[in-house]
Amino acid sequence: MQASTSLFSCPLPYKSLAAPQLPGECMPFVRPIKLSWSSSLQRPVKFSSVTGLSRDLSMFSSMAFNPNVSEDTDDMYDELFEKYGKVVLRRGDKKPHSAEVDDDAESLAFAVALAKVASDVKAADIRVLFVKPLVYWTRFFIIATAFSRPQIDAIGSRIRDLAEKQYGKVPSGDSKPNSWTLLDFGDVVIHIFLPQQRAFYNLEEFYANATLIELPFEN
Amino acid sequence: MIQPQTHLNVADNSGARELMCIRIIGTSNRRYAHIGDVIVAVIKEVVPNMPLERSEVIKAVIVRTCKELKRDNGMIIRYDDNAAVIIDQEGNPKGTRIFGAIVRELRQFHFTKIVSLAPE
Repeated sequence: MQASTSLFSCPLPYKSLAAPQLPGECMPFVRPIKLSWSSSLQRPVKFSSVTGLSRDLSMFSSMAFNPNVSEDTDDMYDELFEKYGKVVLRRGDKKPHSAEVDDDAESLAFAVALAKVASDVKAADIRVLFVKPLVYWTRFFIIATAFSRPQIDAIGSRIRDLAEKQYGKVPSGDSKPNSWTLLDFGDVVIHIFLPQQRAFYNLEEFYANATLIELPFEN
Repeated sequence: MIQPQTHLNVADNSGARELMCIRIIGTSNRRYAHIGDVIVAVIKEVVPNMPLERSEVIKAVIVRTCKELKRDNGMIIRYDDNAAVIIDQEGNPKGTRIFGAIVRELRQFHFTKIVSLAPE
C-alpha cells in the first residue's frame, strides 16, 4: 500500500510507529526524539544550586554532558527550530512600554486611593513605595502604622470595602488583625504594622532602593 | 517530603540553626510535609546570644525541600537542602530577613510576609 511503503522508507531511525496508517495521506507526525535518549531522560540532571528544569531543557543538558553526540543532533536542532521557531530572545507576553506604563499608572492610582483611606482612619507614617524594579511579584508596597488592633481592623475593613466597591478586587492575606497585617491585592501589597513591629522588621531599610511616591494628602 | 525526625536548616536570622520536625500541622495522620506546610519543630542548634534557645518547641514553614516541587507548566524545582522559616502563633516570621531562594508558591499559601522579607 502507498501509505505503508512511505512509512518504511522514512529517514528516521525507528520504524515501528503507533500511528494508524492513513490511506493516501502524507507521513504521520513523528516527534524528532531519538529512542536512545529515553534512558538519559529518566535520570534528570541535578545541579548544585537551585534547579529549574523544563522538560526540553533536561534533554539538552544531558546531551551537553554526553560526549558521544552524533551529527543527528544538528538535524534534530534544525528540525526543532523549524517547528518551534528560532531561539527565544524576548518574552512573548511582554507588553509594549506604553501599555506597561498605563498598567503602572492604574496600580498607582489604586495604591494612592488605598493610602488615602488609611490616612482617613488616622494611620501614621504612610509610605507608598514603587518596588517594581526590585521585585518581580508586585508593583507597589504601602506601609502604614496603626496604634491598636481595633485600628488595624478598621483600616483593613475600610481598605477591603473600597477595593471591592470601586475596583472589584478582593485581597488575600490576613483577615484577622495581626501585629503585622498584610493585604495582598496582586500588584499592590499593604503592610499595616504596630509601632514595635515596624521598627523590628524595618521594611523601609530592606526596600531602601525603591522610589517613594509622593502622597497628595497630609501625612 | 518532611516527616517527624527530619532535620531542617533555618532560612532566616531568628537565631536558630537547625530544627527537627516533630509534627505536621494540617489533617490528621499526614505523612509528609512539602513546601508551604506548617510544621511543629524543636530547635536542635542555635546561634549564641539570640532570643531562641535549644530544645524550644516552635512552629515553622517549610520553604525549601530536596523533594521536587512541580508546577503546572511542567517546571520542576529541587533544592539541595531542606529549610524552614520560624513563625510565631500569629503567623508572623520570627526573624527579620530570609536567606536563600524562595518559591513564589509561598505567596499563594498566604505567606506573603516571608516572600516580602526574602531577597530578589
